Parts: sequence; structure tokens; C-alpha cells
Amino acid sequence: MAVINYDSELRRAGAHSTHGWRKLTFLARRHMLGAIGLVIMVLFVLAALLADLIGRYDPLSVDSLQRLAPPSAQHWLGTDAFGRDVWSRIVHGARISLAVGVGSTLLGSSIGVMVGLASGYLSGWVDLVFQRITDILQALPLLVLALVMTAALGPSLPNVIIAIAIPLIPTVARVIRANTLALRELPFIEAAKSIGMSETRIALRHVLPNTLAPLIVLATAQLGSTILTEASLSFLGLGIPEPYPSWGRMLSESAAEYVRVAPWLVIFPGIAISLAVFGTNLFGDALRDILDPRQRG
Amino acid sequence: MSGVRTLAAVALSLFAASNVAVLAAEPKKGGILKVHHRDSPASASIHEEATFSVNIPFMGIFNNLVMYKQDVAQNSLDSIVPDLAESWAWSGDGKKLSFKLRQGVKWHDGKPFTSADVKCTFDMVMGKSQQKFRKNPRKSWYNEVVDVTPSGDFEVAFNLKRPQPSLLALLASGYTPVYPCHVSPGDMRTKPVGTGPFKFVEFKANESIKITRNPDYWKKGLPHLDGIEYNIVPNLSTAILGFISGQFDMTFPTGVTIPLLKDVKAQAPKAVCVVAPNNVSTNIIVNSSSPPFDNLDIRQAMALTLDRKAFVSILFEGQADIGGTMLPAPGGLWSMPKEMLEKIPGYGPDINASREEARKLMAKAGYGPDKRLAVKVATRNIPIYRDPAIILIDQLKGIYIDGELEVVETANWFSKVARKDYALGLNLTGNAVDDPDQSFFENYSCGSERNYTNYCNKEIEKLFGEQSIEADVAKRKKLVWEIDKKLQEDVARPIIYHGRSGSCWQPHVKGITIMVNSSYNGYRYEDLWMDK
Amino acid sequence: MFAYIVRRLVLMLVTLFGISVIIFVLLRIVPGNIVDILFDAAGFVDQADKANLEKELGLDQSIVVQYMQWIGGLLHGDLGYSYVSEKPALQEILPRIPITAKLAALALLFSASIGIPLGVISAVKQGTRLDYALRVVSLSGLSLPSFWLGLLILMASVSMFGTMPIFNPNPATWTEAFAIYAVPAMAVGFRSAALTMRITRSSMLEILRQDYIRTARAKGASEASVNYHHALKNAVLPVITVIGIEAAFLIGGLIVTETVFNIPGVARFLVEAIRWRDYPIVQNLVMLIAVVVVVTNFTVDMLYAAIDPRIRYTD
Repeated sequence: MAVINYDSELRRAGAHSTHGWRKLTFLARRHMLGAIGLVIMVLFVLAALLADLIGRYDPLSVDSLQRLAPPSAQHWLGTDAFGRDVWSRIVHGARISLAVGVGSTLLGSSIGVMVGLASGYLSGWVDLVFQRITDILQALPLLVLALVMTAALGPSLPNVIIAIAIPLIPTVARVIRANTLALRELPFIEAAKSIGMSETRIALRHVLPNTLAPLIVLATAQLGSTILTEASLSFLGLGIPEPYPSWGRMLSESAAEYVRVAPWLVIFPGIAISLAVFGTNLFGDALRDILDPRQRG
Repeated sequence: MSGVRTLAAVALSLFAASNVAVLAAEPKKGGILKVHHRDSPASASIHEEATFSVNIPFMGIFNNLVMYKQDVAQNSLDSIVPDLAESWAWSGDGKKLSFKLRQGVKWHDGKPFTSADVKCTFDMVMGKSQQKFRKNPRKSWYNEVVDVTPSGDFEVAFNLKRPQPSLLALLASGYTPVYPCHVSPGDMRTKPVGTGPFKFVEFKANESIKITRNPDYWKKGLPHLDGIEYNIVPNLSTAILGFISGQFDMTFPTGVTIPLLKDVKAQAPKAVCVVAPNNVSTNIIVNSSSPPFDNLDIRQAMALTLDRKAFVSILFEGQADIGGTMLPAPGGLWSMPKEMLEKIPGYGPDINASREEARKLMAKAGYGPDKRLAVKVATRNIPIYRDPAIILIDQLKGIYIDGELEVVETANWFSKVARKDYALGLNLTGNAVDDPDQSFFENYSCGSERNYTNYCNKEIEKLFGEQSIEADVAKRKKLVWEIDKKLQEDVARPIIYHGRSGSCWQPHVKGITIMVNSSYNGYRYEDLWMDK
Repeated sequence: MFAYIVRRLVLMLVTLFGISVIIFVLLRIVPGNIVDILFDAAGFVDQADKANLEKELGLDQSIVVQYMQWIGGLLHGDLGYSYVSEKPALQEILPRIPITAKLAALALLFSASIGIPLGVISAVKQGTRLDYALRVVSLSGLSLPSFWLGLLILMASVSMFGTMPIFNPNPATWTEAFAIYAVPAMAVGFRSAALTMRITRSSMLEILRQDYIRTARAKGASEASVNYHHALKNAVLPVITVIGIEAAFLIGGLIVTETVFNIPGVARFLVEAIRWRDYPIVQNLVMLIAVVVVVTNFTVDMLYAAIDPRIRYTD
């Protein structure tokens, strides 16, 4: 779609960051929704980190006497068909979602950054080749590509991270490339060149830091969709395998079987997914408004 | 809980009651029966597949030489009746089984049925013909058959290497239809032709299977139905809702899990539901050729720690059977008596005592609370496999074994097992016919393709042959019990349980009998009718 | 302009070629093939029979030969045979397309008819509570997994009507048709509606800030006339772009939605075919999806170029 010219915003973003904490509280008040999103995200990370403490039960432990128990003081969100505590599974599931979300976003973004930098900075045939690969990866919907990739790699946590990361590469690469192209023309790069800095050094020391803002915006926006994609893959039975409590898996076949008998098995994991993605989306929106005002709505 | 008990009572009373219920009214003609189907089968060719996902919709297209009487719930040699064969006779030495065939029977395409078709079918199954099946899962059923010889158009004989009274049981299975000579195996996979009460209409993968009444069926006046439509709905809760709201006349036979059965009874109180054993055992395949399970102590510790009742109560709300290889009574014919079963390690009534013993064995092998054993438990990525594996892993924790579930995609399961690339595997074994010949040779004889663990014990193998030849049922039973007990004591392939499941139909559907010792043989459906 | 179109067309072919290679290779590094799966049902693998079957299906040939055969066939309109059903792949794929196309069209219709008006209202009332509420709703639309939404709809349908839609290719009544097509379309279209709304809103805001709108206001045009006559007309272009691209990408949402609602469309067929390792179906379906995406992108770009002369004719 339309190429965004970031350069002026970048400098402004750089200037903002020096204002410190007072600026942050101001931003939080100004971007209420973003602050709420941040709170949700923090809670979500805390749940993942403290899962063993707040989980109350072993998420894998089977209890034949408590099968499909409805929510109660003992089991806050009820139990599943094996008598496993749904609350514990959801907080442990946060680890999986976090691992997949952060893992695949980081992996996809870092490869995307390298490709984008190389493509934008080196131009020529490197650019041409990378551009075509990007085209190819972008011509398939995220889920379709991830489906074929997980089928090829087999269902496991690292493989799912890879399968979701690869389709992210082109989006990041495109943005970084556009930025690099714009930055390349700027006077300070010219200056660096004229004093004899090596190309790689310029790319890493000067161009990369200046593309950070749009990168962060993009990565936050992607975080939500990676979590959703993992949930979809697991729902289709191609994602994280049992017994790991992935939220998508919790909603899949076996849970769907109990839609009527035990609706809590469908409702709570769904809320967990939606809330986590909602939080990152809220935060991502605010972040975009702050770092990238041209896109502000 | 009272609902569960009622259902159990229904299941048991079925032995006696079903015949009476069927005869209560004069059958009405017509109507299309709408049935749920759980998945999309690979092909329509019964001989090439090994799942009742194929038998159920396609058995009505065909006839066998002989078949299990469709309204008797318990399959046995006594319930076998003529089908395309009008009569049969054993030779004096028990090595020749000859059939007199029915005359005037036509294939759905109008060609006449003769003894040549019978020969073609069994030559193909035995792998002797020019034309080959793509896959031939039941070739080993006919290991003792030398050849099939027709004499004239309407007589055919099976010549055996040694007496095998159970051959008749195998021929009566829903897995053993007679195929036409003049239709290629490829066509039989996509548009099967038979002599049966229904003709094939269409099979749309992932969507539906339709069969229609054969107006020229050789049994006059049958079938009662105009046709049957199977709607493929993989999601069980969707399917059950379809049944409750009346969109299906019948659930997939054996397709209702015990937890969902309660829901059906609550939402559709008039529906008729029957719970019956499937004769599918859930078992553990143990790789005894490499560490750690090459150590008999560890194998025995594992056998001792299995709390079979817990499996049954979690997965079946108590409604499944515990036994050895052969399906337990009352459904099964060949299971050992309870007193004998309880003497086998791990089957005793006191699970805590067994587990104490198991921990001692583990300690002997060098494991304890501080030195735990990590193993992978491989199973297929299908709920009926995965679910018991989750419970197994939980139970192994108690004897210092930390199991990690490794789910394997369908495409990779058998090559993995064949490579011996597993320590423990959780497996399901379906028995088409409740007969020791079928299950022993297939699963435990040295070199059999389906003997995944390569368990090989020549002594026991000799007993397999002895029981097979034995014509006296009482004597044969004794032998079978002895074999079964040894197999369990050797921890060859520990059996966890024999599952049960429910089948439900609307009250207007009449004439269904759910068999209690097989899920493969009762779907001819020629005498089904609808009272509306 | 002409050179630009030719260049784009060539790039399109390069992309499609690349996809065909990638999908072909990816599928063949998947462990296990159709033969393993077919034998799986038999409970064991007979090596001799397996080799025969692999030969019959042409799987014993080198990957390059297999690829050439596929592409060669494609150029003649021959998509090969499904390994599972043994029917021509085209015959398996074609009848499933209208089902998915109907769902996609309904979903887009739904998303446009909800998303555009709400987006406009949100933009016009920028900064008000209504705007905030609408933005939260649209963000939540992007956050709900569509399969969960589908499951919730099914649950609600059962508890309210005691029944739920089960797919039937020839619905007898209008209500049945509505339940079969419109309900899943809404479940999958909710996300697109949210997206459309966001784009409409930001596009409207952009336009409302432009000079000529200020001029119109200054000239005394009524607020309604400015908002709906001048601004909306100009804001619609990026919205159409997004809807166009979304149309191609709906397939992702449809895969799960068709699974939840048990609809035998082409999207779920892809998942089934991947499970069966039915290469002829998977590779042709993925190519079909890629063609739809690439052609949609191309058309959208051409429209853009035709309407907005400021577009540079380069990458």
C-alpha cells in the first residue's frame, strides 16, 4: 500500500523520548486506552511469569473425581474432561501464547530488519531478489502459509514459532526498506559516508536506530495477530500439541465436544485469547499515535 | 448417576430385548434414513480399508458368502446365517469348506453373480490375482487357505492347510463382502458395485455418502428403506446437536461418547440409545528392544502401576471393560474368568499395594524420587489416542517416570513405530471379529505386520496354532485363557481397557441391532424401517 | 503507463512461479506422504505394496520431474488427480468454490455495510464518547478469534432456538439459507468490518483536514454536505483498497469458520487435503489462492493508478 514517509516523525520521536517519566504519565493520561492496553499486557506477562504461583494446580494433573466440574471456589474456572483445572491451564497457557507471540514477532522482525536494511541500503540485485521473495511471501494469507509450514515442520513449540515468524518477514522488511531508502538520502548519512565510514557501519549505527520507532509500532501490531494465528493453528490441530495448555488447543475438538455440557471450557480460553490480543492492540494503537503521528486517527 | 445406570441396564438388556422390539410391528416401506458420519473415509472399498468408517456406509451395497445374523447382538459361530451361499459344509478332515451358491443373483450393473466372482474376490484378498488392491490389510486372515476352487457356476470350496473352524467367522464379517470380477479395484474404490440391498449413488469427500434402494434385490421385499444418506460432520458436538434437533434420524453408530450420551438423553428424552462394547482395545506398545524398557523390572513396574479403573472412570464414567486381549464378558465370548484375570500383576483389586510393589521394582532398577526416569510417550494426534495417553503419563509419575507426550501425525505413525523410534506408545487395536484367530495371529505372532512390538515367543505361538485347530469350544476357551494370561504377564502389549460407546436413533427408526462384540459386522441395514 | 503495466504483469508471473516452487518443495519435505496415510488405515505399512502405490502415483520420480509434470499439466488446464478420491483435482475443487465465494461475498457485504457507516460516524464525531466506544468495538473485532466467535454463535443459537444450522447445499427456506450462509459470514466478517471501520475513520479524518474541505466549509456548505458529499466520496478509495485486499485474505478466516460451521467449502478442503498429504489438491488450491491475491492486488493498484495520477509508476 501507500509508502509512508517516516523521517520527520522519527526525529520527533527521538526528541520525545528525552522527556522522561513526566512525559510518560502525561502520555498515559492522554492515551487512556493505550494505558489500559499496557495494563492488560503487563497482567498477561505477570500471569505467564508467575503461573506456578497463581495457578493453584498442576495444569497437567489429571483428577478423575473432578471431571467437567463447573466453576467453583475450588476450581475458579471449572475443570476439563480430565479434571484438569481450567484456571491453571489458562495462566500456564499465557506462557505458550507469550512464547509464540514474542518469539515469532522477534524472529520475524529481526529477519525482516536484516532483509529490509540489506534491501534498502544495498539496492541493486540484492534488493531485487529480496523484493521478489517478499512478494512471494505476501501473496499467501498468513494462516495458509503457516498451515503449510507447520505441516512441513511438524507440530511443536519451536516449529510453530518459525511457521508464524516467516510470514511476518515481508511486512517488516517492506517498512524497513522504505525507511532505509528515505534515510539514505538524508544529510547525516551523506556526512558519515564522506568521512569514510564503512557501509555496514553506517547501516547498523545510523540507519538501524532511526528505523526503530516504526519497527516497534509494527511489531506491537503484529504481536496480536501472531497470538491469534497460533490459536487458529492449534484450534485446527496443527499448532502446539497436547498436553501443553495452549489456548487455541483448549478450544479445539475435544473442548468443542463439550460446548453444551461444559460451556466454561469454551468461554474462558476464548476470553483469554481475546483479552490478550485486545490489550496488545490497544497498546499498539496508542504507541502508533505517539511514535508515528502521521498515522494517527 | 442414575441415568448412567439406566443406560447400562439398556445395554445389557439389549441381548434379550432387541429381537422382541423389532418384531412388534409390521415394517413400513419407504423413506430416506439420515445418518451422521464421523469422518470422510479414504475410499469406498471395504477390502482395502481397515476402519468401520467404511463398513458402516458401504456394507449395505454388498453381500457376503455368509453373515452374522443382523438382529443378534452377540456374534458367534452360532449366529452365522447364509447370504450368497445357500449352505456350507466342512469336509471330514476339517480342511475343506464348501459352499453352495444362490442362483439368479445379479450385480447392480445387471451382470449375473457366479462362483467366479467368489474366486476373484478371495484370490485378490490373498494377493494371488493379476489385479491388485492398492493395500490389502486382511491378507493374513487367509494364511491357512491354500486356494479357492469353483466347481460349476454355483459351487465353491476353500481348501485349507490345516483345520481352521474360525474361517467361517472371518467370512461372516462385514469386512468380507464378495466383489464382482468384472469391476476393477480402482472403480470399487470410487463407485462400488455389489449385489446388496442398496446401490451406490455418490460419495462426496467431507460432505456426504448416498446409497439408494436396489429394486432388484434378490431378497424379495427388502430393503424397507428407499435409501440412506450419510452426512459427514467431523465435529461431534455439532453432529449431536443435529441429532437432537431432528436433522439426523441416527447418530454415527458407536459414535456417541459416554459423556455426551447424558446430554443426548437430557435433550432428546425420546431417543433410543444403546451403549455397547466396540471390541477396540486401548493398549500400550512397549519397546522392549532398547533401554529403558528392555529391563523386565521396569516393564512390570509399569504394568503394576496402571490404575485401569481410573482410566475407565475418567474416560467412560465407569462404562468400559477391563480384561486381557480378548473382549471381556458379557459382550465377549473368549475372555478369561475374573478370578484368573485378577491374578495377573496389575489387575489386582488393591492398586496401592501394586504400586508399592512397582516402586520397589523401580528402586531395584535404580530409580527413585531423586532419580527419575524420563521417557516419551508417543501417540497419534487423535483424541481417542491422546486422551488415555494424558492419563497414562499422570499415572506413571507415581513410579518416578516422567512421561512426555509426543503426538505423531497420522502420516508418520506407522513408520515411526516400524523404526522402533519410541519408548512407550499408546495404541488402539480394533478386532473385527470376536475370535482368537483374528487377534492372536495378527497382533502377537512372530513376523506379523501388525505385531508392532515384534513380540515373539515361539512357545506361545505354538499354542496359537493349537487353539485354532481345536474344534471343541470348551477346550479351545481354556487354551485361549492360558494364552491371554501369558501375553499379559509378559507385558507384551499391556491392555488398558476395552472401550464402549453409545449409538442413538430417533424412536421412529426400527430394526437396528447394535452388536456387542464387534463394531464391524452389523450394518447391512436391509431390514431397517421408519415408522412415520 | 503501458510499460508499467507490462512490468507489473511480469512481476506477477515471477511471484506465481516462486510460489509454485515454494509450495511444491514445502509439501515434499513434509514427513510422510499420502501412501503412509492410506496405509495407516490398514494398520501397517507393507513395503512392497507401498512402493507399488508410490509408483502408481508417480511419487517415486525425482522432485524436478514431478514439478515439471505438474506445471506442464497446469499449462494445459490439467490439474492432475486427487490422490484420495482419485477424481480429477479440478472436479474436486470447482464445486467447492461457489460455497466459499458466497460466504466471502456475504462477509464483505456485511463488513462494508457495517464498517463504512460506523467509520464515518466515528470520524465525524471524533473525540466524543461515541467515537471512543466505536473504536473499542472495532479493536475488539480485531481481537476476537473468529472460530471462538463462531462457537459462541453456535452456543447462543442452541440455547435460544434449541437447534443450530447444519450445512445443506440446497436450503429449503430463506431462514435456512440465512442460517447456513449469513451467520458464518457474519462470524468471519466481523473482523473485516472492524478493519473497514478503522480505515474508513482514518481516511475520513485525513480528508477532513484537507484544504478543499476547509474551503467548502468556509463557503458555507452545511456540515452534513461537507461530511457526506465532499469528504466521504474522497475517503472511499483507500477503503475500497482495503476491502479488495481483505477479500483475498478472508480465506484465512474462512478456513477456521468453515471448520466450526462444518461447511464443505474450498477453505476447509485445504486443511483436509494438507492432512491427507493430497499434493495435487493442496498445491493447486494454494496456487488458486495466490492467483486470487496477486490478481486482486494488481487490480487494486491499477484502479489506484487510474484514479490517482500522483502514483509513481515504480515500486
